[in-house]
Amino acid sequence: MSISEVLRPELMKFDMEATDKKQAIQELAQLMWNHGYVEDLQGLVDATMEREAEYSTGIGMGVGIPHAKSAVVKQPVVAFGKSSKGIEFDSFDGEPVYLVFLIAVPEKSDKEHLNILSTLSRALMHEEVRDALMRATTPEEVIRAFQSKED
Amino acid sequence: MKIVAVTACPTGIAHTYMAAESLQKAAKELGVEIKVETEGSVGAENALTQEDIASADVVIIAAATQVPKDRFAGKPILEVPIQDAIKDGKAVIQRAMKLEKPAKLDYVEQVQKTKEEKSEARTGVYKHLMTGVSYMLPFVVAGGILIALSFAFGIHAADVEGSFAWALMKIGGGTAFALMVPILAGYISYSIADRPGLAPGMIGGMLATSLGAGFLGGIVAGFLAGYITQWLKTVIKLPKSLQGLMPVLVLPLLSTAAVGLLMIYVIGTPVASLMNALTNWLTGMSEANAVVLGLVLGLMMALDMGGPVNKAAYTFAVGLLGSQIYSPMAAVMAAGMTPPLALALATVLAKNKFTREEIEAGKVAWILGASFITEGAIPFAAADPLRVIPSIMAGSAVTGALSMAFGCKLMAPHGGVFVFFIPGVITNLPMYIVSILAGTIVSALLIVMLKPSARPVEVIAQ
Repeated sequence: MSISEVLRPELMKFDMEATDKKQAIQELAQLMWNHGYVEDLQGLVDATMEREAEYSTGIGMGVGIPHAKSAVVKQPVVAFGKSSKGIEFDSFDGEPVYLVFLIAVPEKSDKEHLNILSTLSRALMHEEVRDALMRATTPEEVIRAFQSKED
Repeated sequence: MKIVAVTACPTGIAHTYMAAESLQKAAKELGVEIKVETEGSVGAENALTQEDIASADVVIIAAATQVPKDRFAGKPILEVPIQDAIKDGKAVIQRAMKLEKPAKLDYVEQVQKTKEEKSEARTGVYKHLMTGVSYMLPFVVAGGILIALSFAFGIHAADVEGSFAWALMKIGGGTAFALMVPILAGYISYSIADRPGLAPGMIGGMLATSLGAGFLGGIVAGFLAGYITQWLKTVIKLPKSLQGLMPVLVLPLLSTAAVGLLMIYVIGTPVASLMNALTNWLTGMSEANAVVLGLVLGLMMALDMGGPVNKAAYTFAVGLLGSQIYSPMAAVMAAGMTPPLALALATVLAKNKFTREEIEAGKVAWILGASFITEGAIPFAAADPLRVIPSIMAGSAVTGALSMAFGCKLMAPHGGVFVFFIPGVITNLPMYIVSILAGTIVSALLIVMLKPSARPVEVIAQ
């Protein structure tokens, strides 16, 4: 199984409108909902914001990785959004975020999917992956950025 | 330099892995060996083994949840918020490197370490039982010694209400001992099912006491409560908004009701009659049977020196204290003191049969034996199990049998020689000391006879 199974091309947005965290989550959740990956849009947004309340997923380095585990999610899936103007994300380093990954996981998911998500999270810790994502303009380029780290 | 680390976060989807990656990346840059266990939503991956932890110089815990630290006992631990590990793995590793300390274990630490490894290796039923026993012990120690002190005023002194002896008895016998079985049951259940297990376990244990089912009933109640609570956790599915009610209302209520009803209608009576039969047999036991019991308990105490067999004998004796049966406790403690004492004596008797380190260790073994830390014999036994273990088993069997034969009684579950000086704690103290000395001498002589000379070369050189 590869990263493209959870990181779907139809769930990528290269010109996000959001200017703050709530809007960003809303925007990417909407995208998931539009494509039928979630049963309840508000439910996903609430679960994600609830998770954010514990501590921010703005991990610094221009990356935000909000995520939720919720029964309203049908299958493990990731939406990716890029912002050119930067999103206020309450980051560890106080800087705005340019790359947002919204990860949605059902209450019960199989190990394989979760393993892919952990590969994705791990890959984001590498500068070359983040640089490639910053340059990416197409879904193919986004997926390729991860594939270099996949094994 | 080697580091082991654990990363964990509440959802276990992203941060756990980002922190792990960040630490691994930084360790690579700094040329440090690292193994990171991730406790994410798929469970623990890349789990740290005993060997990993043993060989590590420092432990890093980067977590936003509670990570149990028991298994890292004795290691320097750096705990950081998970964000720090993600943000700057390098800084975390560098901080951890400063914690490294040269690890030269002395004998006491070595014994301590073996004890910890043993308790860490405990799993399943045995681990739960031992958790219960360890929480119960302080109650038994405090209660037993206070009862003994009350008896020191005269065996019937406590009958006079308002007297000092009466007060001591009320604290020790009436209260501390009354809590013993509920605590045992409560923490067995706690060990199985976490916090929601505590209430049903304790209540089940209290019922065991009031139904006359004693510590056996308490053990049954504890396991029932724990497994019922655990099972309820998996079958009851509440909507998310009500999930907060699970640990405080739903689980304790249902499992308490289930355990309580089972204790009253099903389990209490048969276990109570079993307990009765056991106490009757123990109190009315012939001297021959008493000697056999002491012998068996002694063998068990020395067989694995703090392992499951040793703890089984120990738990049996401690549990009986709650039923006012004190002689097995005396036999068990005496037989548990003998092995380290015997090895200490052997190192004095036959210096040429031990290495220089062992002779040094022998001096410490006197203290460990006197403190009833049977594990003090383990380093010797590990070095030469086939000669040492049978020898100490023989001596402990002698000690256990003699202690029972002399009718020695012990009201505290621990303490070694230090409780000898508290009035009333030990019945027939002189003969108790004789029992311990006899077993010590038997074991020491056997060891000296069986062991070959360890330093022939050096002896010739001298």
